[in-house]
Amino acid sequence: MSSIETLSALRQPTHLPVRLSRYFPLAPPLIVLMIAFAIPMGMMIGLSFHDADTGILTLDNYVRFFGDDLMLAGLWRTALMSGLVALCVTVMAYPVAYYLARSTSRWRVVVFALAITPELAGVVLRTYGWLVILEDHGAINNLLTWSGLISEPLPLSKNLIGVVIGLTHVVLPFGILSLLTSIQGIDPNLERAAQILGSSRVSIIRHIILPLSVPGIVSSLLIAFTMAASAYATPALLGGAGFKVIATMVYEQVLFYIDWPFAAVMAVILLVMMLTIAFIGARVEARLHRKLHI
Amino acid sequence: MNSNDIEMVSVTKTFGSNLVVNNIDLAIPTGEFVSILGPSGCGKTTTLNMIAGFAQPSSGEIRIRGKSQRGVPPEKRGIGMVFQNYALFPHMTIAENVGFGLKMKKRPAGETRDAVQNALRRVHLDGFENRYPKELSGGQQQRTALARAIAPEPSLLLLDEPLSNLDLKLREAMRVELKDIQEQLAMTFVYVTHDQDEAMAMSDRIVVMQDGVIAQTGRPAEIYEHPRSSFVADFIGKSNLLPISDIRQIENDWFVSLGTKGLTLSVFIPDGMSGHDARYCCIRPEAVRLAVTDEGIPPLPNRLEGTLSRIVNLGAYFDCFITLKDGTVLKSLVRSTRLPGLAVNQAVFLSIDPDAVQLLSR
Repeated sequence: MSSIETLSALRQPTHLPVRLSRYFPLAPPLIVLMIAFAIPMGMMIGLSFHDADTGILTLDNYVRFFGDDLMLAGLWRTALMSGLVALCVTVMAYPVAYYLARSTSRWRVVVFALAITPELAGVVLRTYGWLVILEDHGAINNLLTWSGLISEPLPLSKNLIGVVIGLTHVVLPFGILSLLTSIQGIDPNLERAAQILGSSRVSIIRHIILPLSVPGIVSSLLIAFTMAASAYATPALLGGAGFKVIATMVYEQVLFYIDWPFAAVMAVILLVMMLTIAFIGARVEARLHRKLHI
Repeated sequence: MNSNDIEMVSVTKTFGSNLVVNNIDLAIPTGEFVSILGPSGCGKTTTLNMIAGFAQPSSGEIRIRGKSQRGVPPEKRGIGMVFQNYALFPHMTIAENVGFGLKMKKRPAGETRDAVQNALRRVHLDGFENRYPKELSGGQQQRTALARAIAPEPSLLLLDEPLSNLDLKLREAMRVELKDIQEQLAMTFVYVTHDQDEAMAMSDRIVVMQDGVIAQTGRPAEIYEHPRSSFVADFIGKSNLLPISDIRQIENDWFVSLGTKGLTLSVFIPDGMSGHDARYCCIRPEAVRLAVTDEGIPPLPNRLEGTLSRIVNLGAYFDCFITLKDGTVLKSLVRSTRLPGLAVNQAVFLSIDPDAVQLLSR
């Protein structure tokens, strides 16, 4: 016994270089991430604590942000918009994901393609598409005016509704994919077992599928929220001057007011908001995993 | 009062061009333990799924307690089912799992609690109410699945290879328990399995399926002693299955020739069979009597000589392989205490009672 222990103790040091070499393949992505992500991020955070004119270290920029009602309104709009998008995406993605997870029909592939291919068209193109449909003289308003149902165009763009519609469309595939993974992990026999015990379709969904897919619902909400909060093109085109969110306001600060430190403050606050949500979501998900015993 | 819990009338199931169940007729009497036995792909699980309502027959009719089940969804059939992978709800406690069926039937809480207690006591899991399925062993999960299925007291329970994920010892113990529970509750059990030992051990009646048709239905002893085809003879139990090359009658006695090198056995033709239809003969290994000396075997007509080519020690028994002079290999089951000194390459003598040679027409 003791000889084996001594042997393993002797061998330990020789393992060390082997262990290090195992991480070599990580070097290229780490370097790229450092240059393209960590350093600019650090510079941005640093910038947010400096005075725009003098360059002196200060908290003034943050004080200014939280003292400015326009800024706080922008932050609130961003949170509201992202929350609504997260809800719409998850609610709309759920039935699609369930169908994709359970169907064996040949239409499954078609539905999957339809759900995912819009992602190939690019955000700007799709957003312009929505603009054509939603604007005051767009497809919907023209149709409703022509049919005599309304006399004034409905406010469907340059506001919250337009942006939420556009972003929901952009983010939907990600919601579908994260729910799909979760629902696919639920044994179909559980549904059959519930059914043979007397459950209707509705109560199978209520008692079995929904509870077991809660982790998927949480991750769909999280992904949709963070993607919506950080989106720029869609709020810029569909929201315009009438509906400003933090992302578009940062752009304004940089291009029109040329106040980089203040733009950095806004970016940092957006980042903190998303990290907080992601942290809460991850905690909730971990707790649910434990509570659901899955 | 209908004495059959389930009646299947010319039921056929096709998946695309694939004929899975081919025009079967089956009646399952109330209160019996019926096994549907067959190799994988024989259509046994599809048959069970059609009874449960998870699959619809392409043609034909299924009646449960005399009522046609056409268009009746599984949740309205009032039957219980135990799944091969147990399919316990992972997010519910054992008590919630077992009470699920009663909850769905909107029974009062007190009644549900009592029924859950009863079902758990029956499978020896009382005290496990607040555990979760993940915290239980495979055998305990299996019992939970059984308790969940019997708690709503269905008159009919379907079991889809419920023991196949357990180890051998547990499986053998569970066979006895399952049979006990079935007898105590007087429920009809329809048990799907590919394990002939399981089917033999528990069933009142065995339905052997092959390629989507029923090869034979009967009590276990009946099927073992009188298999109707070489497939059944081969699938149920061990057997020496030999093709017949010639059969002839000399006065009142019949003789079969096996193979090409003149191995001849005296046989009896059972009632209702014409001797000329016989294609195979099946001899159970325990009917092949083995002795080490000429005097050790009874003076019967079918006496053979050969060499012991292999012995498989099964503990209480030896599974002996004897190579006859013409090269045919016969299996013989020998109680190990009867011939303890048996050795390979030893010359042995065999005798086979003509009664024990079963003639099969296909």
